[in-house]
Amino acid sequence: MAASMRLLFRRVIRLSHRNVNVTAAGAPGRPAGCWEPPSCRCFSEAAGDRSTHFGFETVPETEKAKRVYKVFENVAQKYDTMNDAMSLGVHRLWKDTLLHVMHPQRGVRLLDVAGGTGDIAFRFLEYVRFQQERQKRRAARSMQAPSWQDISNNYSTEEEDGAQESRAVVCDINKEMLRVGKQKADGLGISAGLSWVVGDAEELPFDDDQFDIYTIAFGIRNVTHIDQALQEALRVLKPGGRFMCLEFSKVTNPVLARLYDAYSFQMIPVLGEVIAGDWKSYQYLVESIRKFPDQEEFKDMIEDAGFYSVKYSNLTGGVVALHSGFKL
Amino acid sequence: MVRSVFGRLLTEIGCVLCGVQRRSTHGGVSLRGLSGLKDGEQFDLSLLELLVCPLSKKPLRTIGSRVYLRTAMFLVSLLRYAAETNELINEELGIAYPIIDGIPNMIPQDARLIRKHTDPSPTPTQA
Repeated sequence: MAASMRLLFRRVIRLSHRNVNVTAAGAPGRPAGCWEPPSCRCFSEAAGDRSTHFGFETVPETEKAKRVYKVFENVAQKYDTMNDAMSLGVHRLWKDTLLHVMHPQRGVRLLDVAGGTGDIAFRFLEYVRFQQERQKRRAARSMQAPSWQDISNNYSTEEEDGAQESRAVVCDINKEMLRVGKQKADGLGISAGLSWVVGDAEELPFDDDQFDIYTIAFGIRNVTHIDQALQEALRVLKPGGRFMCLEFSKVTNPVLARLYDAYSFQMIPVLGEVIAGDWKSYQYLVESIRKFPDQEEFKDMIEDAGFYSVKYSNLTGGVVALHSGFKL
Repeated sequence: MVRSVFGRLLTEIGCVLCGVQRRSTHGGVSLRGLSGLKDGEQFDLSLLELLVCPLSKKPLRTIGSRVYLRTAMFLVSLLRYAAETNELINEELGIAYPIIDGIPNMIPQDARLIRKHTDPSPTPTQA
């Protein structure tokens, strides 16, 4: 047991030494071989086939989707555990904030793209159910002395109807993530109004004007063509529908930025190795965060896709940004 | 006397377990655990209202007269649920999307060609 721990530590140290060279190249402000400034996507059209970034690597666009798929296939089982470990549980607060800002009413249809293990969809259904119960309690309190007629009416109106009016569809390109999510749902006993679909964010298998709310939480940076995904979001939303996106973004405070960088590049891949046994996937994760456009640029991209009233708010000092836009 | 107390303890534990089970199925949860295939069917039938073939939706956006094309394409893009093979079939393009564990797979590359077409099913980059 002690021997295996020692082997593990030695491996971790070796990997971290290798990583230090990569991070030295990737640290902001220091030019190196293939490193690009985080706000620009590198497209080389010289050879005719376009390339994009996969973390700090440059890969052909066709490659990226495959590699991202593999990353999430590998981490699917330990995804939730790793989220808790890496963010020290704060990711729950971010997702709760998304729901509070969303403030869904009854009978609302949600499409959660790149929803994977279903965190947003579960929270959505619970929120709506909770709102409903609160309303019911208020109604009950206001009815001081109900007649027998009222009581029998209450029994006849189906309680479940409201919950089933609101619907959540979780769409993800990765079957493994959805499978884990479905198991979670079965474990929690949530299944009314919840559906799972394997689909591509750039080519959604839904008709136009179907959904009231479209969310994508920590998924859009993995999409190869973000503008296409945004256009698809616009298409499937009803007029008046809301687009909401949670994504890692640029930290505004420079001191916090240094700490965050150190934490990202030193701690997270190590955690990935120890908990999920996968250093490379978590290396990709922190690199892909650096390559994603910052808050203002992403806001411009959303506006370009055709959304109105686009706003963003920084959570945890800019570690995460919540972007929101409306289809009018 | 000990035996009666023991007996009561056991029945209470039994009640608690049953109660927990009952609570988890309360709230309008669709009947689970009857059979795996039945679950898949239940999920699908309500999903069918929402799902369309991602490929045949594509021309709608680029071509001009949306209203006319919409009515024509709507019929075209309707998916038929084939219970026997557990697939979603798009008749017009002749492709079938598989359903695995009750989750429909709507990725065009994973769809199966039903009949040999002259033109192969278009890839997303071409569409």
